[in-house]
Amino acid sequence: MNFRTPRRVALLLAMTAVSVSLVAAACGGDDDDDDAADTATATTTSTAATTTTGTATQVASPITISGVWARATTNDVSAAYMMIKNTGVQDRLVSATADVSPKVQIHEVITEGNTSKMQEIPGGLVIPANASVELKPGGYHIMLMDLPTKKLDVGQKVEIDLVFEKAGKIHVTAEVKQGGGMDMGSGGMSGTGTATSGHGMGTATASATGTAMR
Amino acid sequence: MLRKTLAAALCAVAVLSAAACNSGDDDASDSTDPTASPTTTADRFRGGIVTPPFDKPDIVLTDTDGNPFDLRKETEGELTLLYIGYTHCPDICPTHMLEVADAMEQLGAEDAAKLNVVFITADPARDTPEVMRKWLDHFSTSFIGLTGTEEQINSVHDQLHMAHPTFTDLGDGNYAVSHAALVLAYTEDNVAPLAFPNGFELENWVHDLNKLIDEGWEQ
Ligand SMILES: [Cu+2]
Repeated sequence: MNFRTPRRVALLLAMTAVSVSLVAAACGGDDDDDDAADTATATTTSTAATTTTGTATQVASPITISGVWARATTNDVSAAYMMIKNTGVQDRLVSATADVSPKVQIHEVITEGNTSKMQEIPGGLVIPANASVELKPGGYHIMLMDLPTKKLDVGQKVEIDLVFEKAGKIHVTAEVKQGGGMDMGSGGMSGTGTATSGHGMGTATASATGTAMR
Repeated sequence: MLRKTLAAALCAVAVLSAAACNSGDDDASDSTDPTASPTTTADRFRGGIVTPPFDKPDIVLTDTDGNPFDLRKETEGELTLLYIGYTHCPDICPTHMLEVADAMEQLGAEDAAKLNVVFITADPARDTPEVMRKWLDHFSTSFIGLTGTEEQINSVHDQLHMAHPTFTDLGDGNYAVSHAALVLAYTEDNVAPLAFPNGFELENWVHDLNKLIDEGWEQ
């Protein structure tokens, strides 16, 4: 029996399998190479979303932000997450500041093969017209660095100013959470679960499905 | 053999994508108790199947007490989850650690005790034993943290066929580190036929860990 060559080939295949699987697992999370599909999905979901909000309150800014939270930490780095919904033309989240951190960046996560890394998004995070973009664990996040307190406790509030290219400055308050599947109220694929249970609930669920599955 | 492996590889893709993207649909809705042990239906692992399985790195690192830790010897014969990350990672690493900790809590103390969780740092420059202990305790005091020299950490990556860590400057002395995108699940035999990707949901963790503990690995 000669295992050498087949084993090497098999390993190669395994690596391919794992990396391909990763893309599938993340459901296309953050890579932008499928922009057309993204926009298509996002537009569809936001049509429904607009109808829902239309009956409620008229919001001045086309950008609305929900589900803001930051991760509890025991050292000097953390991340904040949220759902950004845009009912207007394409905008861009260019920067952010936070009361707990002197150094804040907009980050993305890149997964190549079996490894991942995070980095600042060059030029900021594009928020396409009539679309929702979710910042969630494993993907886009507001990176909080050099926290002088060297910790964030569950229940604490973090004040964040987001600066958009067109919408200008938007203030949000993040609640500090542990961040696991147990206390993730919104976002992620748990949103998909809610949607299928047939509550017909509003916009966050609809757009969460759109972004999670795109 | 080649065709067989290819089939297995393709199968892994199918299984994983189905599990990660449709999580919650079938299982959550028709099960009244989400913590109930796996049902008797054709119930497969939801993690990625690794063919051939990853070997366990043959290496002696340093644990959070500063003592030598022979990875194979210390974890042989026990189910072991292995992850490589770094403590200044605010996103993926704590997400993985928290999901594992939450899943183990749902498994209950008796089952959780059958599982080692080993965290190897990709950033030995910042991750001293003390730094790692404090960070891991945030998730579980039972998690094992290992550090080593740059050469040792590189060797771990080589043995797992992973690229060496790369460092991205974030300014003002901050930097990001590339690291494993997977948590590897080692059976009692020192091989990892299962790997859990980023975005693997809590219920999937509970499902697969339950299955691994109760039934062991069989394909
Ligand atoms: Cu980051």
